[in-house]
Formats: sequence, C-alpha cells, structure tokens
Amino acid sequence: MSELIPIFLDASSYILILVLVALGLMIVFGMMGVINMAHGELFMIGAYVMVLTQDMGLPFLVGIVLAPLVVAFFGLLIETALIRHIYHRPLDTILATWGLSIALKQLVVLLFGPESHSVPLPVDGSLDVGTFSYPVYRLILMLTSILLIGGTFWLFLRTKFGLMARAVIARPATAAALGIDTRRMYRWSFVIGTALAGLAGALVAPIISVDPQMGLGYLVPGFLSILVGGAGPLAGVLAGGAVIGGVNNLLAVWISPVAALITVYVIAILIIRLKPEGLLGGRRAK
Amino acid sequence: MRNSLIGLLVFIALAVTPLFVGQYWTGQLTTYLVYGLLAISLSLVWGYGGILCFGQAMFFGIGGYIMAVFTKGMIYPDLTSSYLGLLAAMAGAAMFALALGYFLFAGRGISGAYLAIITLAIALVLERLMNNWYALGGYNGLLNVPPLKLIAFGYSYELWDRLPTFYIILGIVAVVYFGVSFLVKTPYGLLLTAIRTHPDRLSSLGYSVLNLRLSVFSLSAAIAGLAGALFATLDGFVSPTLIGFTLSTEALIWVAIGGKEMLLAAFLGAIFTRTAESWLSEIFGDYWILILGVVFMISVVLLPRGLLATPIEMLTGKRKRK
Repeated sequence: MSELIPIFLDASSYILILVLVALGLMIVFGMMGVINMAHGELFMIGAYVMVLTQDMGLPFLVGIVLAPLVVAFFGLLIETALIRHIYHRPLDTILATWGLSIALKQLVVLLFGPESHSVPLPVDGSLDVGTFSYPVYRLILMLTSILLIGGTFWLFLRTKFGLMARAVIARPATAAALGIDTRRMYRWSFVIGTALAGLAGALVAPIISVDPQMGLGYLVPGFLSILVGGAGPLAGVLAGGAVIGGVNNLLAVWISPVAALITVYVIAILIIRLKPEGLLGGRRAK
Repeated sequence: MRNSLIGLLVFIALAVTPLFVGQYWTGQLTTYLVYGLLAISLSLVWGYGGILCFGQAMFFGIGGYIMAVFTKGMIYPDLTSSYLGLLAAMAGAAMFALALGYFLFAGRGISGAYLAIITLAIALVLERLMNNWYALGGYNGLLNVPPLKLIAFGYSYELWDRLPTFYIILGIVAVVYFGVSFLVKTPYGLLLTAIRTHPDRLSSLGYSVLNLRLSVFSLSAAIAGLAGALFATLDGFVSPTLIGFTLSTEALIWVAIGGKEMLLAAFLGAIFTRTAESWLSEIFGDYWILILGVVFMISVVLLPRGLLATPIEMLTGKRKRK
C-alpha cells in the first residue's frame, strides 16, 4: 500500500498543474471562443523566468512573483497587438496564435539555447512517515496549486468581476447593453489566463526539465481536458484534468509512457466525439 | 478562364526552371513540388470544403508508408510495381479518411475548433504509434525505398536521374492541379462552397452534408497520400515524422500564407516557403523560424485570404468572393 501512495501523489500533482494550465486556456476559450495555441509557450516563459532568477541568485519567491507578472505583461501585449484584431474570426485565432507559438519558441532558443535547463529545488528534504517518504517541495506545489485553483474559482464565482465575466460569457450582447465593457473584460480575462500559465510554469520548473519544447506537452492535454470536461462550467476543467492527467500518469507507471499517451488521447477523442458538450455539460463551441 | 491561364503560365515557368538552375536545385524543386501537392490537398479540404484539418500529414504519411511497403516487396516479393504502390497509397489514405471522416462527421458531427484539436491529437497519436511499430521500422522508419519504376509498352525505366524525375513529378502534379481546378468549377465545387458556408440550408435542400464532407475529405486524403507516396520514392525512406504533427502544421502554414481559397496560391505558398527556407535559413540562421512565425501571424491577421492569393486575384481582376 505504501508504495502506491507516491504514485497517487505524483498523479495528483500532475493533475493539479494540468488544471492550472487548462484553467487559463478555458477562461480564454470559454469567454472569447479564442483558442490560444501559444498558451504552452506562455507556460514555458514562466519557467524560463524562474531559470533566469535562479541563475541570478535571487530567492525562489522572487521568481514566483516575477513569473506571472512578466507573463501577464506578455499576455497584455499579445491581446493588444494580436488577439483584439481577430476576435470575430475564432478559427483564425488558432492559426495566428500558432504563428506566435513558433516565434516565441524560437525566441527562447535564440536567447537560452535549445538545451534544457534545470532549477534547483527550493526546499530540499522529504516528508517521512514510517516507510513512506515524499519530497516536501511536491507537497508545497500541490498545496499552492489547490489554493490557486480555489482562488480562480472564487474570483469567477464569488466576486463582482466574476459575475460580470460570466455575464459576458453567457450573453455578450446583453452584457454590453447593460453597460459592461466587454472589450475590457476580454482583455483582463486573457491577462489572468496568461498569468496563471506563467505561474504554473514557474511552480513546476524545479521538478521538470525546462526546454523550448516543453509547452506542447501541456498544451494538448490541457485542451483535451477542457473538451473532455466540458467548456461550460469552470468545474468541467477539474473533471477533464482528472481524467486526462490521472489516466495518463497511472498508465505511464503501470504500462509504459507511450501506451499511456496513446490510450489517453484515444479515450479523450472518444469522449469528445460521443459527448461533445463534455462530461459536465455546458455550451458547445461553434 | 484567366485564372487557369495563370496556372498554365506557372507550370510552364516551373517546367523551364531546370534549364537555369543546377542539379541540386532541380532535386530540391522536385521535393517542393510534392509538398505543393500536399498543399493542394489541404487547400481543397480546408479552403473549399471548410474542414480545418490540423493533421493533413497523416494521409501523406500513410501514403508514404504504403508505397514503401509495396515497392520494397514487404507484402509480396513479386508485387513491387510502382503503379500498384501509388494506387494502393491513394486508396489506403482515402479509406482511412473515409473511416475517420465518418467517425468525426456523422450524426452530431464535430467542427471548427473542436475538429482542429481532435485532428491534432490524432496526428500525435499516429506519430507515436509509428515510432513504436517495429515491423514498420519504428523510430528509424523504412530505408531503401526504390525510386519510381515506369513500365509502358514493354519498356521499363527506373527514375534515378534528377531531370526525368522532375518532369514526371511535375506532370503528375500538373494533372492533379488542373483536375482539381476543374472539379471546383463544376456544380460539385458549388456544393462545396455551400457546405462551407451554409450546411444547414444545403441539407434542407435535400443534399447529404455528411456524404459531401466525406467525399471531399477522402479526395483530399487521396491526393495527400499520392504526395506521400511520391515523396517516399524521391527520398528513398519514410519515417514517423512524415505522418505527424510537424509536417501537418508546416503544411498549414504554407497554405495559410499562400491562400487557402485558391489552389494555385496554396501550391505556390508551399514552393515559395520551402525555397525561401533554403535560401534564408543560410542568411538568417536560427532567426529564420522566428521570421516565418511572425510572417505567418501577420498574414493571418492582415491578409486572411493569403499573401499570394491577394496579388493573384488583383492580376486576374477577379472580384472578391464574399
């Protein structure tokens, strides 16, 4: 039994990070119908901010604060320069953000080189209970993710901003008629989504290898989580992330990473095809 | 009419190009022609059929693998005819597309952004699968695929030299290009415009939207399969990269930069982008990919009809379709 606990904890921490990444995607997709293919690269930039601050010898917490700020600034820039002009052409946003993703990836290769970087663990040591032992940082990571996910839910479900955001999602024209500045809502939602990606990147940087290709490995599972869970209610992302992340992680341990990936994608494709509104229901994108 | 005149001029220009460039560039251009064929297939399914397929290279790869398996004699040692290989490659890709299309489009079919994500995921799955399918070479792929072997009137000729290969490939590409150009001008092309713009109205007029979608999806897959099969004979090998995500998105970039709603622009988009890549990547080095990404982004935002389609349309004086 005690050897199963680390496996489940690993799976849970992967699920939580996946949900963090997917939440950002979901806010942007659910609200504006924009598919942001560069979301994985924003996640990557967050991780590189962490690499940079650690190379400069700054405390870990500085990286955690800087990463979402830097990435949010990128998000603001992207929204102003790119997304704003193609809101009315949702399919073209896939292509334009794909171009952006290629450009950002190459920019990082030019600045940091194609090789992978590593970030030292900020907290060494592990928690030992009897025969069971688990790295402390991973526990902190999970706790932080839970708090962040909870905070995002609180923001969208319990605050005035969230109420307005949900109004814009449900009935954009009515919301605008009631005096909500929809453009401004779009912009700040996009920025919040990107900041979440940046923070997620900074948080996982110590436990994965940071390289220019890391974004895609989270982008596709992130999208599949949204579509599997349902793009309607925010909670859909939890269900989708749990299915995708959980199955992937557990099968990778029990069979092989390749078989796990193929199985997860096939399961996801089947669910999306047979239940297009997702496990928890909700609106279906056109 | 003027449009097909421009197409004719382009193919004449391509035909005389080997007179001015060396052996190396003739060889490169032959490969680009095959990529152009892939671009035509994507333009047909995306620009005309309205199906944004993020995994068009899967049909290319399937065609390549079938061609390799056939002409290497892996199925039956005496059955290595190039003709049979090409035919099987096209049929195989089309059948796969038919099955996949039925799964995707039947009933409450999926479309738009969902379709893009799902086709992307399928391409990733296929690439992983081929990486681990050891009977088909796994990660290393299949080597020593023989070149095209033409047999007619009792003569047999293997295409080893660059110049004859170039003209044979150019001929095949030209036939496909003019064939598809003709097809989209027939009433069938009109139906394609209808399923792209108003599928519900079309079905209320008694047409089967599903059958139309399946037909254009399979036809485009057959063309992509043909391109993949030709590619296998040119390079002499097939590998999982042909089937996957990278080539799919590259093809998407060529077609979007060229112009998805114009076959010629999509075709030239592939040839120009690849040529520019060989030249400019020497000058700009690693900056080239950055430039390509930015150009792609700008062309999608500012010229959604394509960087090449816009000037060609001005040349032909065709009024913009709404």
